[in-house]
Amino acid sequence: MSLAFIKLEKSYSAPSGKSFKVLGPIDLTVKNGEFVCLLGPTGCGKTTLLRIISGLEQADSGKINRGAGRLGYVFQQGALFPWMNIESNVMFPLKATGMAGSLCRLKAEEILDLVGLYEFRKSFPHELSGGMQQRTALARGLVTGPDLLLLDEPFASLDTRTGINLQEMLRNLCRKLSTTVIFVTHNIEEAVYLSDRIVVMGHRPGRIVRDESLSLEWPRNRLSSTFTEVLLSFRQTFEELVDLSISS
Amino acid sequence: MSRLALRKKVRTDLRQRVQSLLPGLVIPTLLLSLWFFFNSRSILPAPGAVLDVLLDPSADLLSCGSLFWNTGVSLIRVLLGLSIAIMLGTPIGFLMGASNRFRHFTSLITELARPLSPIALLPLSIIIFKDTSFTEVLGLNHLKYSRNILNELQIGMIFILAWGGIFPVILETMHGVRGVRKVYIEAARVLGAGRMFIFKHVLFPASLPDIFAGYRMAVGRCWMVIIAAEMLPGTNSGIGYMLRYSYQLSRLDVMLACIFIIAVIGLVFSRGLELLGEKWLLLRARER
Repeated sequence: MSLAFIKLEKSYSAPSGKSFKVLGPIDLTVKNGEFVCLLGPTGCGKTTLLRIISGLEQADSGKINRGAGRLGYVFQQGALFPWMNIESNVMFPLKATGMAGSLCRLKAEEILDLVGLYEFRKSFPHELSGGMQQRTALARGLVTGPDLLLLDEPFASLDTRTGINLQEMLRNLCRKLSTTVIFVTHNIEEAVYLSDRIVVMGHRPGRIVRDESLSLEWPRNRLSSTFTEVLLSFRQTFEELVDLSISS
Repeated sequence: MSRLALRKKVRTDLRQRVQSLLPGLVIPTLLLSLWFFFNSRSILPAPGAVLDVLLDPSADLLSCGSLFWNTGVSLIRVLLGLSIAIMLGTPIGFLMGASNRFRHFTSLITELARPLSPIALLPLSIIIFKDTSFTEVLGLNHLKYSRNILNELQIGMIFILAWGGIFPVILETMHGVRGVRKVYIEAARVLGAGRMFIFKHVLFPASLPDIFAGYRMAVGRCWMVIIAAEMLPGTNSGIGYMLRYSYQLSRLDVMLACIFIIAVIGLVFSRGLELLGEKWLLLRARER
């Protein structure tokens, strides 16, 4: 699904009555099938942008042109329903659209197999590790075969090794399903490893400071010199941003 | 696990359970033995006399029915009032939790009505409902002068029981629904769920532990209300009525037996519902 923002703006009003500008104006176009990382420090409005795309929040002004199609969303802490087992959690988006029970189960089992949780389908979220919970969340986001997948720092709460495994899994799944992906993160290495294109956001107000397509080849090697080079260049952009926010 | 090992495990489980109960029995045993040994100096009847009453629960006492009959009448009244409270209170509480507009519309009236003791409404409900019982409501007038449980289920009595039970149900349900974490609702929304689907598959299961807590409170309240209500005019059956009547006739053995039954049933209600709640694993919905 292709996606375009035109002069998108968003403000919040603080309890004191003052209004804070959190976003914009933002202009951005995402091509069909592209894997885009929104990279930025905490509080730069990247999550807000994601919520606007998904319709959880409304922009104050500007336009979003979103192609028609299904949406998948993966939250930071999974947001799995603790009263449902893994299978029911994954079946939720299918059932919500009124799909018949047996077909739901079939599709859920298929995707659970892909993320390696088939044997755990009858377990409850609290019985699984953090990594497994996030895999379930991925499966729940992907089970409908979405045209656009939105992910909000899905691996931020995991340890590095687990995070890396899941990054690989996500990348492979998305290529297989040729999904358009918008991935929000503040982890530079994660962004460089995953994306076709990185959009760096700065804060106050949230705006785009750098937008670059990566020419790194697949599979990516984190230890190669080209990888490190790209990583360093983005780290530099990031440092400048943080310096700026401290001095201002 | 082998059969032998299983049997062994069951046995140790049982032993542990019994052991955990033992400390709680110390004080009751002490009180009972005090009563037993110092009985001759007290105004209380001998424990044996009370035991005699309790051991023959189907005997007619003071010509107002047996212990069985009167306990049964009270229990059925409570069950009826409680089911009305649950059937009305749950949807009302749910809507109050889910919709701000509905809550603003109803919160003043519930806040006003809630602290009003159901007992305070008993005289009014007798005036309104007279002594109309289910016999008349169901049009079974030929049963009116026979001994029949329907004759004992006065509408006024059921009404104040429902009144006593409905507010805990409404409030707990409302708090439960309002306390559902926003992220669950948002997750459901972005995953394509509609309003009714979210009601049924997110709000309801997520607030089920609170709803159940409301039911437990309601059962406890109804049991207290029915005993008090039966001691007042408006009925001549029920364990509360028997309690008051035995007092009037100075039959303290019957009175103590009634008190004992009331206490035990109260215990069974609260512990039973607690166990049921755990059995259903409703606690699973809680954050871990």
